Amino acid sequence: MIGLAMDCVLALGIVFLAVQTVRSRSLFQAMLMFIVFGLLMSLSWARLHAPDLALAEAAIGAGITGALLLVTWRRLQAEGHDPVESEQSAPSMWLTLPTAGAASLLVVIIGWVALQLPAVPGTAGELAWQRLEEVGVSNPVTGVLLGFRAYDTLLEMAVLLAAWLGARAVATEFRPGALPGPAHAEVPLVGALLSLVVPISILVAVYLLQAGGSAPGGAFQGGAVLAAGGVLLCLTGRLEAAADTSGLERLGLILGLSVFSLVGLLVMAGGGPMLALPGAWAIYLVETALLVSIALTLVLLFAAAPGLRRAS
Amino acid sequence: MSLSEVMASLLLLSGCLFYVAGTVGLLRFPDVFSRLHALTKADNLGLFLICTGLALHSGSLRIAGLLLIVWILGLLAATVSCHLIARRAVRSGQMEPPA
Repeated sequence: MIGLAMDCVLALGIVFLAVQTVRSRSLFQAMLMFIVFGLLMSLSWARLHAPDLALAEAAIGAGITGALLLVTWRRLQAEGHDPVESEQSAPSMWLTLPTAGAASLLVVIIGWVALQLPAVPGTAGELAWQRLEEVGVSNPVTGVLLGFRAYDTLLEMAVLLAAWLGARAVATEFRPGALPGPAHAEVPLVGALLSLVVPISILVAVYLLQAGGSAPGGAFQGGAVLAAGGVLLCLTGRLEAAADTSGLERLGLILGLSVFSLVGLLVMAGGGPMLALPGAWAIYLVETALLVSIALTLVLLFAAAPGLRRAS
Repeated sequence: MSLSEVMASLLLLSGCLFYVAGTVGLLRFPDVFSRLHALTKADNLGLFLICTGLALHSGSLRIAGLLLIVWILGLLAATVSCHLIARRAVRSGQMEPPA
């Protein structure tokens, strides 16, 4: 009963926040609504018994995306476009109501049809579940991501790298100003908090990576947590923008993609199908490389800089 | 219902009450400082009560230890962010610090 009530509150809250995000007149308010929207999405994944997705949504959807949006807002403010003042016109009701109605109707029809379909035996999910042991990990999500759909994961890493390259190309043209925020650098409390929280973020990231074999977790969640530590270091002025990407950073950015491809190709050289990872050790090796690349890409995207160095 | 379950429910309920009080304070109080006061103090106690309630409910020392870490991290983050927000409000000159 309480569960049903909570589900209803979540469902209504998500729709309400989505409407508010689109209809909000102030950009800042829309951003906050979107961050809370990500938080409620994470809760609803948890309610649907999908803890892996809930973790990923909380870390990436609400956490890192929220930090990216807020830092963008600060940069816009610093450059003199005051996005709070500039009221954008809300879309007209005559357009939004019928569109929302039609979209809801479509969702109801698709859901109803999906419920009517007879269960098909031998779907990919069932086959993967039956043969999970062959992959070498007991968490089905990690097993599917790195065992049965390794191509998808490999290409996701390529997309992440491409996103960073795109951001870098744009940033060279527009040269966003220095990171806003290092005004807090000298507050003693900040240093004390950092010396505790940054090591914990590394610990949690490694734990999530290791736990990913048998419980919810994995490279993406761990990478996001590690990136959160990096974002804190940027925000408090411990790391500052460098003029160019250092060799170490370049290596870190391509580490995930190259280790994954290399292991996949070596398997093929040994006679197996490409990307069929031979056992748990290969999965942990690839996931470690993915974690480094994901975390570094996210921090560099947040800093909107070609590279980072220790603040002098 | 055993005694520990009753205790856990009472702790969870009182924790929720503190959260509601903190949120009402955040919405109703007039300036940055009193809002911060309402939010950080009430929420820290609320989080403590909820963590204690959950620890009692779980009946496991390991989970109780993890919840203790959660509470301490929450405390630290709330303290420092409250300090930074108040500091910025004073420095930017929008508000006079309370006498």
